[in-house]
Amino acid sequence: MNDKKKNHEPTEESGEQLQTEARLIQQAQEGDQRAFEALLRLHDRRVFALIGSFIRRRQDVEDLAQEVFLKTYLALGRFRPGAPFAPWLKRIAVNTCYDYLRKIRRRPEVALDDLAGNEKAYLSAGGESGDRVAARDLAERILATLPPKDRLAITLREVQGLEIAEIARALGCTRPAAKVRLFRARRAMQATLQRMIRQEEQMGNHSRRSE
Amino acid sequence: MRCHEAKKLLEREGRGGDLFIENEALARHLAACSQCSQAMKVIRLSSEILGALREEIEPGPSFYPRLRERLATSGVGEAGSIFQAWGLARRLVPALALGVLLLAGVTIPLGGFRSPLPVRVGRTTELYAFSLEELNLPAAVERPTQDQMLAFVLMQADVGGARSEMPGERSGK
Repeated sequence: MNDKKKNHEPTEESGEQLQTEARLIQQAQEGDQRAFEALLRLHDRRVFALIGSFIRRRQDVEDLAQEVFLKTYLALGRFRPGAPFAPWLKRIAVNTCYDYLRKIRRRPEVALDDLAGNEKAYLSAGGESGDRVAARDLAERILATLPPKDRLAITLREVQGLEIAEIARALGCTRPAAKVRLFRARRAMQATLQRMIRQEEQMGNHSRRSE
Repeated sequence: MRCHEAKKLLEREGRGGDLFIENEALARHLAACSQCSQAMKVIRLSSEILGALREEIEPGPSFYPRLRERLATSGVGEAGSIFQAWGLARRLVPALALGVLLLAGVTIPLGGFRSPLPVRVGRTTELYAFSLEELNLPAAVERPTQDQMLAFVLMQADVGGARSEMPGERSGK
């Protein structure tokens, strides 16, 4: 098992916490808004982290989180008491993110010229510069070229550390189909990076020759 | 190590497999092969930039007040009663369906839906009664037996003893 996955496994909830959660769910189902808010506060960081892996702007993250929580409130009546709440909420969040990704326009391709100065510097240093902002911008730029489901698959796996079965459930497809999407997304991402590195090297060689 | 072997290890790294930096053979190969070395660089870079998307974000101070407002204005404040109605409906629908099935199950075997008509009247005749009244009509009377018929003929003969001869009959006189 790789470390990166272990770090992002959701922590085991204690029995006491589960009891509190069950009580809050019941109260919220009876229409208690305070209980609903308390219930959300137990899970809001996970939802924010999930949405934040797709969207950069903080305001947009909050808007989407509001949408997720409103949907949760409206659907709470259909929630079966005793069932785990976190995966159910995660599913709503993933569906909302998927709807969002479908709405935004997909970039056809990313070229080296599209990159900002710090992203180019990050790329030429082979990621050694440690510029997290540049890394994030670059990731978003490349992910924006992927089909929404492929983007969802790679983000849920690499960023959220979800298992293939969970990704398949979230995407509403079979496990092999989820694996295919993941494979395709990785390939596409690596191909784009390779192309940009080559372009960058060619430009470097050209500038050296002209000097 | 050859390129295809190195490629397999690199793909495993790309899928988040075990780190192979200690693999000396691979390290030697990467030092010698520029193509594999670049593939390795791309895989590592890809993993790095995706890792940068991992971020802890907390809701801002205005998040929950705004949510409360939205819950109130979007008319979902009465969600509790909607949930209760939905829950009641969820219980009632199967109960109703079960009731209908039970009723059908009891009525059909008792012949509740089968009409008793038409009924064949008499064992030998091809006569049918299509209504309850027709059951009492003379046509529904059974065919007479041979004895009854013989008795009827003899009775007619007695009654008509003084009857005139039928045309074509030879007179015994």
